[in-house]
Amino acid sequence: MNGFMTFLGKELTEIRKTWRIWVIPGLLVFFAITSPIIAAVTPALLGSISKSQPGVVMKLPPPTWRESYAQYLKSLSQMVLIAVVITGAGAVSGERSSGTAILTLTKPVSRRAFVLAKIVSQGCLLVAATVVGTVICAALSRAIFGPSPLGPLVASVSIWTIDALLMIVVMTFFSSMFAARGASAGAGLGFFFVSLLISIWPVANRYSFVGLASASGKALMQQPTGAAWPVVIAVVAGVLCAWAATRVFEKQEL
Amino acid sequence: MTPAESPNAIEITRLVKTFGDAVALDGIDLAVPQGSVFGFLGPNGAGKTTALRILTGLARPTAGEARILGANVSTAGNVVRSRIGYLPDVPGFYPWMTAMELVEFAGRLFGIEPTTLRQRAESLLQMAGLSEVKSKVGGFSRGMKQRLGIAQALINAPSVLLLDEPTSALDPIGRREVLEMIASLRGRTTVFFSTHILADVERVCDTVAILDRGKVVANAPIAELTRRAAVDRLVIEVEGDPAALIRELERRPWLRSIERDEGRLTLAVSDLKAAQRELPAAIAAADLGLKRFEGAEVSLEDMFVELVRRAEA
Repeated sequence: MNGFMTFLGKELTEIRKTWRIWVIPGLLVFFAITSPIIAAVTPALLGSISKSQPGVVMKLPPPTWRESYAQYLKSLSQMVLIAVVITGAGAVSGERSSGTAILTLTKPVSRRAFVLAKIVSQGCLLVAATVVGTVICAALSRAIFGPSPLGPLVASVSIWTIDALLMIVVMTFFSSMFAARGASAGAGLGFFFVSLLISIWPVANRYSFVGLASASGKALMQQPTGAAWPVVIAVVAGVLCAWAATRVFEKQEL
Repeated sequence: MTPAESPNAIEITRLVKTFGDAVALDGIDLAVPQGSVFGFLGPNGAGKTTALRILTGLARPTAGEARILGANVSTAGNVVRSRIGYLPDVPGFYPWMTAMELVEFAGRLFGIEPTTLRQRAESLLQMAGLSEVKSKVGGFSRGMKQRLGIAQALINAPSVLLLDEPTSALDPIGRREVLEMIASLRGRTTVFFSTHILADVERVCDTVAILDRGKVVANAPIAELTRRAAVDRLVIEVEGDPAALIRELERRPWLRSIERDEGRLTLAVSDLKAAQRELPAAIAAADLGLKRFEGAEVSLEDMFVELVRRAEA
């Protein structure tokens, strides 16, 4: 693939030198810090509310690392995935509208290399930020709640990461397909919410990538996850989606 | 003759490009000799940028084919792209890069070895007047971006340089420098540049093609085009109201057009001898005094207007 490494280098430098370094990593670090704190203060907060209501008695068990991890995972599954959709919407369409795609693609760089470098660079950013965020969350949970097992957190976040990587590939596909950033963001949000809806159907939840979210939750609860099918289908869907993104972009006129 | 032996750097054959019902290019044929500076002239919307987008592989032809250095641009891919330089009409750059970073990035895409790349980048930025500029490209003026665009287009020492309106955003000094740079490439690099600025074409081009509404209405050396246009100009200045004279002249078959500025008339004529013979008598018949009667130089603009007018007719 001509120009892949050079263009990937440009992408990684761009992440480092622009706002892109702050969005996904910033959110992950923010949730990594706030999740253990929210888990720690929630019982006290609810207790104070119940005291102000005559006749209401609320007894909550003391918080543990599990609440901290669950809060972190909930933030990843909602806010961070939506941020992946929004930031990924302009991956290809942004280069097209600004004219920089023309600058690059009139040189010996294949469109396949262009699209795949976009996917790889965003994936690298996501994985690196997830590792940092997860380490912070684990360290803070340990500091607040005492010894906290790492296994459930690593397992659940790993499954979530596969879901987020799939979302990056899907967004690159939409961004290759639509010229307008808004259109690809809309399509991505549609995909996100439709996936949530479909996950209610047990068969889809068991045998497709929409089951990754519940598998991630089960991993945290140290229950059997049944993640094999969702992971395999997510990988296959990701590969197909990346191939479709390159094909769609190769056929487009700039 | 095989394509590789062709004396032409660019060959376009019956090229058609449509967008829905709109015809952007209507079966154009072009041949650009190697080493020449070729002006691709036409009014806005004539199809110049569309033709350049096809040549660079950014768009596909609806019919026909375009070849650069013997290779079909629709199928050759990197074989062609590695040997061309391209400046779009509105160049887009990564705003967070400096000029040096951008030119080096462009060079790395061609796989140029780092030491050579650094030397070339410095030399090209010097030529573009950007060697001392350390700010980010995002803060550059349109003219600075245009000059940077030319520098990056030359980083691979291209065999064919495709420039889309390269002087449109430049001030007079910048424009002169760019035209001098283009002229200096003659013989070494084939330069194909689109423009609607006739003076630029007159200044540096060997050969010119005129595109109008998707059709090539002329493709020849400038001198030949002038002859083919077969238009001569005469300037006469008379004493008195020339209205009656103009009405009379408009009946003459050799008159192509007439422009009036008070008593000064500029005539475009197809038969110079007939005009020179008949004009004094017509002036005398209109009872006007003749103050001035002389030939005027035929500019590329006159020729361009005439050829486009003929194509429309």
